[in-house]
Amino acid sequence: MKKVLEVILLLLLLVVTHAKGTRYSPPGKPALTRCRSPEKETFTCWWEPGSDGGLPTTYALYYRKESSDTVFECPDYRTAGENSCFFNKNDTSIWVNYNITVVATNALGRTFSDPVDIDVVYIVKPNPPEQVAVTVMEDKGWPFIRVSWEPPHKADTRSGWITLIYEIRVKLEEENDWEMHLAGQQKMFNIFSLRSGGKYLVQVRCKPDHGYWSEWSPSSYVKVPDYFHREKSVWILITVFCAFIFLILTWLLHMNSRSLKHFLLPPVPGPKIKGFDKQLLKNGKSEEVFSALVATDFPPKSSNYEDLLVEYLEVYIPEEQELMLEKSMDLDVGCLKCEGSASDSDSGRGSCDSHTLLMHKCDGVKEEEERQAKEAHGPGYWECGLSNKQPHLLHPQAQAQRQLQARSDDNISSIGRKQTPAGLHSPARRSTEYVEVERVNEEDMVLLQPVSGRCGDVEGYPEMPYGEDYSKVKGVDMDNMLLLQREVREETENCDTSSTVTTTQKPAACIHSAMPVEGEMVLGVNGYVDTATVCTPPTY
Amino acid sequence: MARFWCAVLILACLELSTRVGTAPICSYGQAGCHTPSLADIFDRVIQQSSRMHGISSDLHSEFEQYFFPSKNLIGKPKCHTHGIVTPADKENAQRLGREQLTEVILRLLGAWGDPLLQLYRSMSQDQNQDFNHYSSNKALEISDMVHELRDGVAKMAEKMKLSGVLGNTVGYISPEGLVPSSSFSFYKHGELNSMDHHDLLYCFRRDSNKIKNYLQILKCTTLPGLDC
Repeated sequence: MKKVLEVILLLLLLVVTHAKGTRYSPPGKPALTRCRSPEKETFTCWWEPGSDGGLPTTYALYYRKESSDTVFECPDYRTAGENSCFFNKNDTSIWVNYNITVVATNALGRTFSDPVDIDVVYIVKPNPPEQVAVTVMEDKGWPFIRVSWEPPHKADTRSGWITLIYEIRVKLEEENDWEMHLAGQQKMFNIFSLRSGGKYLVQVRCKPDHGYWSEWSPSSYVKVPDYFHREKSVWILITVFCAFIFLILTWLLHMNSRSLKHFLLPPVPGPKIKGFDKQLLKNGKSEEVFSALVATDFPPKSSNYEDLLVEYLEVYIPEEQELMLEKSMDLDVGCLKCEGSASDSDSGRGSCDSHTLLMHKCDGVKEEEERQAKEAHGPGYWECGLSNKQPHLLHPQAQAQRQLQARSDDNISSIGRKQTPAGLHSPARRSTEYVEVERVNEEDMVLLQPVSGRCGDVEGYPEMPYGEDYSKVKGVDMDNMLLLQREVREETENCDTSSTVTTTQKPAACIHSAMPVEGEMVLGVNGYVDTATVCTPPTY
Repeated sequence: MARFWCAVLILACLELSTRVGTAPICSYGQAGCHTPSLADIFDRVIQQSSRMHGISSDLHSEFEQYFFPSKNLIGKPKCHTHGIVTPADKENAQRLGREQLTEVILRLLGAWGDPLLQLYRSMSQDQNQDFNHYSSNKALEISDMVHELRDGVAKMAEKMKLSGVLGNTVGYISPEGLVPSSSFSFYKHGELNSMDHHDLLYCFRRDSNKIKNYLQILKCTTLPGLDC
């Protein structure tokens, strides 16, 4: 019966609690959060309460000292605030292990926290340093900050019971980064390298040898005076110096601008085309440019063969003249006339105009001529070499008296020319005759014709006057004047060979003139004097 | 040959001329010796004790991390030096006076010479575990330091006696007389296991802290200056 009643009571209790909507339970487990000692003489422990289980809960702290089984309760729950226990000097022993437990009790039960072992020596966290003083001082004109402080008054450093080391941090008011300095055991510190006119914040904190850092002391403000004028003078000096150097460099550069330009951008050699006028091109009229190119002397009207790009024909001598040939072999037979006209370097000379090349050609031609001389036959046609070193056979028809012209100025001799067997002129005749290329026929044969007159006429007098073009130099007199031999020919320009020169045809006397006679002189395109009009004194 | 003898002569001359003059530190205060001042000795001794405590503290925390990662599993051991009465707070320490304080320091230092050596031997022999292999050097270091510090404190006490700061009651105390053999009998024979290593390290860490603190108190009561 009693049992039934008890069961009913319990059930009722349970129902009642459920009906009210709350649940009562024993308290939750509290936990000791931390214990700290500010000066190694007292310490405080704090705990975190668990759930109270809906009922009023009380907390108690119990501790046990090392090597003693006696359990003591916390002597002071109030001094350090809520949920704390304060151990005063009498209750605190250093180098002794404390075993601390917190118990939460309510109507339904009690709960023990996990025990914590502490040794006061290792839980020391001092108060921040006090009386932090910051002053600006000067060292040889440059300011610095001196920070001084005192240890927290509770910590007894004076007796050596506790030893503190200090740390300082500094920053400018407007910035976020602190500059840290470890000061060791000293109570004073200097900070250098300050910004002039800056406002600084300084804080100090301390720590025992083996323990926790204290909180930072409240900020101390200090303003550094303006020493800008010193900095300014330095900057002015630097600026002036740099400007000076800059000026010197500019001047040097200006002096050497041309050579520098040449060094950096070497000039590109331009084309030198005779008759090419840059100005015309710049003007933009291409027709004028081209006409300028075409205009003057191409093809040459005067038989100024120096300007021709065509090589002279090298003529083969038949075997009657072999002896002659041999004599004059060393006279650069068959070489091309190649006067070194003193023109500019790029006047468009052909390869034939090269002296060295000439020699080679001469040698080559010599060999050919030797060969050909041996195998020459009657008709005695000429073999001529054109500029491409291809000997062509002369058309027998186009043969006329051919004459070789020696290259040497001294020995302008005519070497055997081909003639009809009827007449054989003395080879020593000193007259030169030229052949002109009339045309090239289909078989790649060059048709020649004498220049002066007998157009197409094969036979005839060998000497055809080229008087309007050339004069033979007789000699040079004492005054460095060229003495020319004027040749008088009666039959001259009956041909249709173009001649732009009219010459006086005085049979005998010539006007001795060291200077060209005006009106009778034709200046070549290159500014040469046409020597035909310059006469020699009648020395003979 | 002549060159060889020349070189030899030159070398001999150089050696003679560059011989550094040494002045030994005389602890007995002979005339002509350069003796350090009491303040210097204090500084050296305190530095040494601080370093010793640092190394032992590191060794202990490493040991705990390696062998016993979860805290508070082990009970706090009883140290073999518990027989030495040491002041447990500031007032007691100041009440002791310089002579007794010096005596306590010397006792503590004397009590730890052999156990540390034992510890080192045990750790270096136990090659199975890497911790012992790498940390046995530290054990050797603190073992040497304890011996050096004991000599240093003894010299310091002598100096203090000479300068009249210390009374003559402090004598050389042999370790055997101090330590009751019953509480630490195993260090004489038998092998130490990890638990023993841990206990030894725990105890020594605390004792080295005591030594350091007592020395600092001694210094500041004897020579009050900037550091105190």
